[in-house]
Amino acid sequence: MFKSSAIHRLCLMAPKPQRFRHFAETTLLGTAAKKPRTLTTDATASAADSDPNPMKDAFSKYAAYLNELNEKRERVVKASRDVTMNSKKVIFQVHRISKHNKEEVLEKAEKDLAAVVDQHISRLVKELQGTDFWKLRRAYSPGVQEYVEAATLCNFCKTGALLNLDQINASLRPLSGPSVEPLQINVLDYLLGLADLTGELMRLAIGRISDGELEFAQKICSFVREIHRELMLIAPKMDDASDMKTKMDVMLQSVMKIENACFSVHVRGSEYIPFLGSEDTNFSLLGVPEIE
Amino acid sequence: MKSVFRSAICSTLAFSLRSLNHIPNRNSLILLPRYVLVSPSKLSTLTSMATGDSVSHSPHSPALHSLEKQFEEFRHQLDDSGSLRERIRTVASEIESETRLIHSCLLLIHQSRPITEVLEKAKGQIGVLRELYVKLAEIMRECPGQYYRYHGDWRSETQTVVSLLAFMHWLETESLLLHAEAEEKLGLKPLEFGLDIEDYLIGICFMSNDLPRYVVNQVTAGNYDCPRKVLKFLRDVHAAFRMLNLRNDFLRKKFDGMKYDLRRVEEVHYDVKIRGLTMSGNSTGYQEGDEGRS
Repeated sequence: MFKSSAIHRLCLMAPKPQRFRHFAETTLLGTAAKKPRTLTTDATASAADSDPNPMKDAFSKYAAYLNELNEKRERVVKASRDVTMNSKKVIFQVHRISKHNKEEVLEKAEKDLAAVVDQHISRLVKELQGTDFWKLRRAYSPGVQEYVEAATLCNFCKTGALLNLDQINASLRPLSGPSVEPLQINVLDYLLGLADLTGELMRLAIGRISDGELEFAQKICSFVREIHRELMLIAPKMDDASDMKTKMDVMLQSVMKIENACFSVHVRGSEYIPFLGSEDTNFSLLGVPEIE
Repeated sequence: MKSVFRSAICSTLAFSLRSLNHIPNRNSLILLPRYVLVSPSKLSTLTSMATGDSVSHSPHSPALHSLEKQFEEFRHQLDDSGSLRERIRTVASEIESETRLIHSCLLLIHQSRPITEVLEKAKGQIGVLRELYVKLAEIMRECPGQYYRYHGDWRSETQTVVSLLAFMHWLETESLLLHAEAEEKLGLKPLEFGLDIEDYLIGICFMSNDLPRYVVNQVTAGNYDCPRKVLKFLRDVHAAFRMLNLRNDFLRKKFDGMKYDLRRVEEVHYDVKIRGLTMSGNSTGYQEGDEGRS
């Protein structure tokens, strides 16, 4: 009853008999008839040139590749963040240094640094085998730079010398095994880490001056100058020179802050020394107008 | 610079003279101009200052010597990698100019030249590409494991190469050039110097960008069956790409652009179909279609 009225209405709307027949067919047969039809065309198409299958196969391979790569990248980023976070803690620990507690502070810092290597850098080593070392560099580079910064800072406070890249890489060698090739930090990350180191050394120098360790500050000053001078020559040769260029500018600022602090102490040494140890040591007297 | 410098000195001198009344420290006279020098980051004046200061103080210890030695070594290493990169860039630019040649050959397809003729000419040039990739692989053999260090230098060129090869492959076989097939065409060995899968996928996206123009010009030339074929192909490719979990990167952006190509081809297909043009020109070549057009 309903159907016939529907057809009637269609009839009114579409007066041409041919078109009516077309409409009636599709509406009456409904979706049930439609579905097998598309299925058969699909089947014939795939039978005709048999293309979709190899493409699907290939793309599921690519999908697996991309998934794996992304997961790996994610793991590397996480490990790198952990390395950064814990290296920062080491750096803060080094800044707690003072005249009297030098040994124990550095001992703790070194212990923490060893823990960073054991717990977090070891995770990187496993992920960065073969070509992944360069492929995922962007993902791990910040962490490695921070680690270089922490390790060199520790070593400088302890020995007064620069920790070489070879020494760092040698210290990472125990993380490798028979099936795991060692992680060898590349020159670029090492240099970028060194560039950041000068900022930390600036803080350390200012702190030492306010604590009266002028000789130590002087040592930091000449060390930082040396690094700045060397990096000056190397910066334009690096792969990502623009990144390094901004770091060089910051580094120069750091160098000059130390120099100014040393300078003012040097010039006013006779006035300054009696204040040593007293509570009212004021930065503005030292000629250090801005300390970050 | 000079006048600025002078005025800065003058102003600080004036300032320090004024402040002399308040601060009983004579040395502030010397100190203040120093601060002024800190703020402008002109390298030349500052470095000369810094080195001038350092010479008198720094003792030449063995530690410093080892530091110098290490940096010298770094300089050599970086010089080497720099010259390697230079060589890679030379080859990459050769690849680039070669792809331009192939591309210009392929552009004849829009002027409805016969496919076989166009393909034959374009294919003749693949050999040169192969040789260039052999060259590139040879350079990379010098630094095993560092493929991805220099990858950026041939990346975009390779993506274009893939897009052209894939387009040619489609013209020939009406199927998608797969990754392994692309490697084979370029004579690349996956273990030694392979084609990065992401580059391949981006190249396919580039190819998809060219298809709407191709379809439009084919229809204009009377090849009314072309939109249907291209649409089917592009739909399949798009469906295949949807299987991938992409990151928010360049590939993702390119893939997102693919749907506009798809829509354009759909529109052309619709235009042709709604006017019943496919019926008359169905499964005939465009030689016959040409007649139908007039």
